[in-house]
Amino acid sequence: MSAWPLYSLLRGIRTTRWPRQEETAPGVSPGRPQPSADASGAVVGRCPTAALMRIANGVAVDFARCVHCQRCLHGEDALPWSRDFAWTAHAPEGRSSLGRRFRRSLHVRYIDAGACGGCMGEVRLIDAPPYNLHRFGIFITATPRDADVLLVGGPVTEAMRMPLRKAYEAMPEPKRVVAMGVCAINGGVFGKSFASAGGVAEVVPVDFVIPGCPPPPLAIIHALLAVTGRAQTHASEQQP
Amino acid sequence: MSGRAELLDLLAANARPDVGVGGAHGALRAEVTPKAVPDLAAKLIEHGCQFATLVVEPARADGGFTLRYFFYAANDATLIEITAAIAPGSSALAIADRVHAADWHEREAEDLYGIRFEGHPFLGDFVLHDTVWPEDVAPMRRVFDPHRRVAESGLGTAWRPRRILDEAGAIAFPVGPIWGDYHEAGLWLLETPGEQIRQAQSRLFYKYRGVEKIAESQTPDHCVLLAERFSGNSAFAHASAYCRALERIAGCSVPARARALRAVFAELERMRYHAAAIAELAGSTALAVGKSMGQEIEERLLRLTGEVCRHRYLFGVCAPGGLAWQPDNAALRRLRTGVTDAARELVGLERLLAHSSSCLDRIEEMGTLTPELAQSYGVVGPVARASGQKLDLRLALPYGAYADTPVEVPLEVEGDGYARLRVWFAEIRSSAAMIESLLLDLPDGAITEACPPTEGVALAWVEAPAGAAFHWLRLDGDGRIARWRIGPPGFRNWHAFHRALKGAAFQDFPIILASFGLSVAENDR
Amino acid sequence: MTPDPMNWLVWNYLALGFSVLALALPGSRLRRSIYVAGAWAAALLVLIGASRALIAGTTTSIQPMLLAILPAFGFVLDPVRAFFLIVTAAVFGLAICFVAQDSGRYPPARARALLVLTTLIYAAMVTLLIAGTVVSFIFAWEIMSLALWALVTFDSRQTDKVRAGLLTLALSEGGALAALAGLLILAGAAGTSSLAGIAASAASLPHGVVWAGFLLTFFGFGVKTGLMPVNAWMHDGYAAAPRSVTPIFSGATLNLGVFALWTIDGPLASHALWPALVVLVTGTVTALLGIVYALVARRMTQLLTHSSIENLGIVVAALGAGFAFTAMHHPVLGGLALVAGLYHMLNHSAYKTLLFLGNGAIDSSTGTDDLDALGGLMKRVPLFATLFLIGIFAIAALPPFNGFVSEWLTLESLLRVVEISAVPVRITFALSGALLALTAGLALTCFAMLAGSTLLGLPRSRAATTPRRVPWSATLPMGILAVICFGLGVLATGVIPVLGGLTTRLTGVNPTAALVPAFFRHVQGLAAGTVHDLTEIGAQIGRGVLPLRGLVVLHSGGASTPVVYAMSTGLTFIVLAFLLLVVWLATRGLRRRRRVDRRATWNAGLERLRPEMTYTATAFAAPVRVTFAGLLRPVVAEHTEHHGAFVTALRRQDELVHVVDRLTLRPLTQAGRRIAAGLARMHHGRVTLYAAYIVTALAAVLLAAASILHGS
Repeated sequence: MSAWPLYSLLRGIRTTRWPRQEETAPGVSPGRPQPSADASGAVVGRCPTAALMRIANGVAVDFARCVHCQRCLHGEDALPWSRDFAWTAHAPEGRSSLGRRFRRSLHVRYIDAGACGGCMGEVRLIDAPPYNLHRFGIFITATPRDADVLLVGGPVTEAMRMPLRKAYEAMPEPKRVVAMGVCAINGGVFGKSFASAGGVAEVVPVDFVIPGCPPPPLAIIHALLAVTGRAQTHASEQQP
Repeated sequence: MSGRAELLDLLAANARPDVGVGGAHGALRAEVTPKAVPDLAAKLIEHGCQFATLVVEPARADGGFTLRYFFYAANDATLIEITAAIAPGSSALAIADRVHAADWHEREAEDLYGIRFEGHPFLGDFVLHDTVWPEDVAPMRRVFDPHRRVAESGLGTAWRPRRILDEAGAIAFPVGPIWGDYHEAGLWLLETPGEQIRQAQSRLFYKYRGVEKIAESQTPDHCVLLAERFSGNSAFAHASAYCRALERIAGCSVPARARALRAVFAELERMRYHAAAIAELAGSTALAVGKSMGQEIEERLLRLTGEVCRHRYLFGVCAPGGLAWQPDNAALRRLRTGVTDAARELVGLERLLAHSSSCLDRIEEMGTLTPELAQSYGVVGPVARASGQKLDLRLALPYGAYADTPVEVPLEVEGDGYARLRVWFAEIRSSAAMIESLLLDLPDGAITEACPPTEGVALAWVEAPAGAAFHWLRLDGDGRIARWRIGPPGFRNWHAFHRALKGAAFQDFPIILASFGLSVAENDR
Repeated sequence: MTPDPMNWLVWNYLALGFSVLALALPGSRLRRSIYVAGAWAAALLVLIGASRALIAGTTTSIQPMLLAILPAFGFVLDPVRAFFLIVTAAVFGLAICFVAQDSGRYPPARARALLVLTTLIYAAMVTLLIAGTVVSFIFAWEIMSLALWALVTFDSRQTDKVRAGLLTLALSEGGALAALAGLLILAGAAGTSSLAGIAASAASLPHGVVWAGFLLTFFGFGVKTGLMPVNAWMHDGYAAAPRSVTPIFSGATLNLGVFALWTIDGPLASHALWPALVVLVTGTVTALLGIVYALVARRMTQLLTHSSIENLGIVVAALGAGFAFTAMHHPVLGGLALVAGLYHMLNHSAYKTLLFLGNGAIDSSTGTDDLDALGGLMKRVPLFATLFLIGIFAIAALPPFNGFVSEWLTLESLLRVVEISAVPVRITFALSGALLALTAGLALTCFAMLAGSTLLGLPRSRAATTPRRVPWSATLPMGILAVICFGLGVLATGVIPVLGGLTTRLTGVNPTAALVPAFFRHVQGLAAGTVHDLTEIGAQIGRGVLPLRGLVVLHSGGASTPVVYAMSTGLTFIVLAFLLLVVWLATRGLRRRRRVDRRATWNAGLERLRPEMTYTATAFAAPVRVTFAGLLRPVVAEHTEHHGAFVTALRRQDELVHVVDRLTLRPLTQAGRRIAAGLARMHHGRVTLYAAYIVTALAAVLLAAASILHGS
C-alpha cells in the first residue's frame, strides 16, 4: 500500500492565493523597470535591447523589449523596479479574448520553438503545487487538435517554423496564440537572423504576448487567464 | 598515468618541429599535419587523456581553416592543444571512429563550415536539417551574412531517416519534434520490430539559434547576454566560463570575494538544476506526489535565488571582472539558511524515493550506460559519474575558487537511472556543504575589477550542472568577438543517450530521457 | 413430374463437362465467359437439388447405371450431405468468376489446365459428398487430393514451391492410406462397406476396433481438415497455389474433412466417450496453434491459412464436445454443440471465402500480399476495402455478423458441462473452453492487425500506393458474401432450426427447441407442446411484415417476473438500426449549418510521416511473439557492423520453424534417414548377397505358410 497519498495530504495546501490575494513573496517575479520622470537619460544607453527611451519628461519603458539584464537596476541612474508580474499585453492586431464558454475550461498546447532552459523551467512550474494551473480549469494537452490556446516560447528557429505552422493549422477554431517571453515577441537577444525568425508573429498570428526573460509562472498564468477574459491586459509600453 | 614529460615526448614524436609550451595555464601545444591527427589523438586517449572540444576557425589569409583539438589530462591538470591547418578545398581526416567523443564535433564542423572529414560514416543532416536548409550552405564561413534568411520551408518531403536496423517488419518510430506536455523540441527515432528498441537515433538541433555566428563582431559585453540566455537553466555556469575567458585575455584577476561568490552561485544553480531533474524523473515514472515535492523544492530554490540575486535564473549576476553588483550580507545570510532548508527537504525526498518500489522498478537496471560505453563516448557530468567515470572539471582543471575549496564528487558504477538519481542527490548535498563553507569564510572586498577587452585568445571551462563545458574565445583588434566557440556537455551526453536506449521497451523512453537530465537548448545553441 | 434430387446432381456433372468442353473454344474472353456460365449452371443445379433434399428431409440413394458393373460404388443423398453440398456449390459458384478472370494471366494452355483442374476438384468434392460406400468415398477423396496437389504445384518453378508440393503429396497420400486402412478395419468389423451401415453398427463394435478405426480415420482425413499434427502442408501449400483457387480450398475443401469426421467418426465417437474427448482436445490445440501462427505470419495468405486452421479447430472442438455429450447420454446438449460446430463451419465458409477473394484481389491489384508492404487501401479502393472489412468483422466475431453467433454458441455449449458430474470430463471441457476463449481473443487481435496493416495508415510500398482497379469478378462475389455474412448473423433464429434438424440423425433428439423458442419460429400459432404456463398476451409486433415473429410478451406465471418480454435477434437488429437512423436524422436536422474544415492529419510536426515510421503488422504482433517465444522458438541471427566505434548497421533475422515441423516432421525425417542409412548398409551391390537375401526370404515365407497350414 503506497504511502504517497498520505505524504501529500500531510503537506497540506501550498498553493499561492493569487489572484484572490496579492502575491508578495520575494523571488516570485524578477519584476520590471518602471518609467521614471526624473532620470537624466544615462541609463538609456546601458540597455542592450533599446527597451528604454529618452522622452521629454524622463525615461519611458517598452517592456516588450526587456531581456532582464538588470543593468538598469544597478549603478548610477538606476530605474525603480516593481515586483509585479501581471504584465500580459495584447498583441497588435491580436484577436479579443475567448468567450464565456472558455472561462472555466481551457486547453493549452505549449510549443518549444527554440526556448532556452529559463522559459522551459518556468512553464513547467505553472502546474506545480505552488501555482497550480489546474484550479482555474486550464489544462495542458498533448495534441493541438484538442487545444484552444497555443503557448509558444522561443524565437522560432528555422527548423521549428513548419512544425509551429502545422500545429497552428491543426487547431480548430476558435483559437488564440500567446507568445511567451521576449524571444517569442521579437527574437530577444537572438533577434531576427539566419537561424531564427525573430518572433512568433513572423510565423503565425499572435494574440497575446508575455514579456519577460523568462516570464515567471504567475505571469504565464495571468496571460492564460487574460485569454479567457478573466484578467486584464496592460500595455507593455509605459510612460512616466 | 601520464606525466607532462611523457606527453611532451608523445607530442614531439608526432608533431612538426614546433611543439611549444605556452598559454596562461601551461597548455602543451603541437602543430601537426592533418594526416597525423587521428593517430596522435588515439594515442592521447590511450594515455588516459580526455577529449575536450574541437574549435574550427577560418584561417585569416586563404580560404582554409584551422582545426584545434583540445585534450586534457585529468591527473595533473594539463591541457593539450593540437592544431592542424586545412588548405582550402581539401578535407580533414576524421578521428571519431577512434576518439568517439569527437563524433558530434566533426559532424557540426562539416555542416557549419563545409569541411569534409574523410572516414566519418554519418556526415550531413546534423545541425542544418536537410529538410530546411539547402545544400552547400555553410553559415559559419566568413562570407555568410547572419542577417539574411537562406532556409526554405517545404524542402522536407524527400527526407528519409537513416536506418541502422535491418530486420523484417522493423519500423523507425518517431518521437517528436512536438510531443508530450512540456518536452523540448527534438526528434528521436526508435528503431524497433515492435516491442524492444533495438537502435535509437537522436536528431537534435531543432533549436539551433546560431549563437556562435550572431556573436561575431559583437561587443564582449553584449555577448554576456547571449552566454546566459542560450541555456537559461545553466546560465550562470556558461556566463562565468565566458567571463573567465574574457578575463584571461585581458589578463585581469578577479577579486577573492567575487571568486568565492561565483562558486556559491554556481553551486546554487547546480542544486536547483538537479532538483528540477529529480522532479522530472519522478514525474516520468508517474509518481505525481514525488514530482510535486521536487517541484516545490525547485520553486523554493528559484525564489531564494530571485530574492538574493534579483533574478530567478541568475541572469545579470556574472560580469567580466567579477559580479555585476555587490550583494549585502543580510541577503547572503538568508541564502545560507535557505540552502540548508532546501537541502534538508531534498534529503527527505531522497529517503522517500529510495523506499518507493514502484518508482525504483522503473529506473533500476533501466537505461544502463556501461562504464566501457561511457568511456568510449567520453560522457561528462553526472551521467559519467553514475557510470564509473570520476570526471569533474572542478577537480581535473580547477578554476576560480575550486582551486582552494575541497570538492566532493560522488561515484556510482551501475550506470542505470537509479545510479544517476543517487548521483544527483549526492551532488546536491555536496553543493549545499560547499555553499555553507564558502559563505562562512567569505572574504570582504571589491566585487569586480576592470576588464577592458583586448585582442587575444583564451580557453575557459566550467563544470556546468550537466557536465563539462568549454568556451574558446578570440577577440580581434577592435576588442570585438572574432570567434566564440561553445562546447556544451550535450555533445557527449546526448551522443551516448542512444546507447542507453538499446534493449528498452517503448514505454521506458521518457523515463530514460528524464534520467539523463539533459538540456536540448544547451546542446543546440 | 418433379425430378428426384439426385437427378439434379447428375445434370450438374453434365454442365461441368460442357464447361470443360467450352475451354476448347478459341478466343479467351468467349471461352472464359462460356466456362463461367457452365460453372454457374452446375453450381445452381447442385444448389437446387440439395435444397430440395434438405427441405424434403428424405434420403435417396442410387446405383448409377453407368457404374452398375462396379457394385462397390454407391451414392447417397440425405439432408446432411445436402447441407454440405449447398455450402460447396455456393462457394464454388461465387469463387469461379475470379478463377476464370485471373487465369488470364497465364498462357492459354496453362489457363485451360487451371480451369480443368478447378472443375475436377469441384466434381470430386461433389462426388465425395454423395459417396455412400467405402470405395466411392476413398475414390472421390483420392481424386480430390490429386487435384489439390496439382493445383498446389501449378505454379511451381521455385524450390520452395516444389517442396510444398512434395509435402502436400506425402501427407495427403499418407493420410489417405491411413484413412483407407481405418475404413477397411471398420468395414470388416461391421460386415458392410456402406457408410450408413458402418454408422448403424457403431454402437456394437468392439473397443479395439473402434479406437483403431477412429484414430486412423480421424488423423487420416484430418490432413485435409487441418488438424494439428498433420497440417504441416497447409502453410506452404496454400501459399504456393494460384491465388484465385485458395478461396475454394478454404471455403469448400476444408469442409470435406468435417464431413468425413461427421459421417465416419461421428457415430463412433457418439457412443464412446474417450474418442470424443480426443476430438475435442485436438480441435482446441489446433485452434490455439493456428491463431498463434496466424499472428506471426508475414504474408496475408499465410495469415488467412492459419486462421482457417484455427476456425476448423473450433469446428472440430465443437463437434467433439457434441459427440462427448451424446456419449454421456445428454442428447440435447450434444445437439447444441453439434449445431454450434456446423454453424461455425458454415460461417467460416462464408467469411473465409470473402477474405481469400479479397486476398487474391489485393494481390492482383497491388502485386503483393506482404503485410508489411501494404496499407492505405481504404482511401484508394473504398468499396472493396469496405467489403473486406465486413469479412474481417465477421471473422473477428463482432456482432451483428455471423462469426459472433457461432463462437458464442460454441463457448456456451462448452459451459454446459456443468450438468455433467464426471470430473475428468469437466476438467477437459474447462481447459478447452479457456483455451478457446484465449483463441477468440487472439483472433480479434489478429484481424485488427490485418485490417490496420492492409486498409488503414500509409501505403508502405510503391505497389500499394497506386493499386490497380480491383476486378469486379472479385468485388461482386465479395459483396454477395458480405450480405450472406450479415444475414447469417442477424437471422440466426432462422438458421438454427435447419441445423438442428441435421443433428437429429446423430443424437436422436432435435435441440432446436432448446435454442430457439417455438414462438419465434412459427408465425401461425404456437407449436404444440409448449409449457402450459405460457400465455401469449401481448402484441405480435411485425405480424404480416416480418417473416418470423420478432417480439413476444409472455405471461410466465412466476411471482417475481409475471411478464417477460422476448425479442428475437433479427428484430433486435432492426430496432437498433431504426434508432440509429432516428438519431442521425435528428442530429443532421437540429445541428446548425456549420462549415467543416478538413485539415491534414497531425503528425507531431514532422515534415512528412514516412511509411517506415508507421506501425507494421510485425510490430503490432510483437507482444505475441514475445509471449509465445517458448512455443515459437525463433532462431535468431544477429550481426552488427562497425566502423571503428560507430555502429553502422545491425542486421537481425529470426526464423520461425513451425512447431509441427520441429516436433514431428523433422524427427520423423531424421529417423527415416537413419533407418535408410542403416538399411543402406545392407546393400553392397554384390549379387551373391542379394541372392542370399532372396533365398532367406523365400525360406521364411515357406516356413510361415507351412506353419499356418499345419495350424488350421
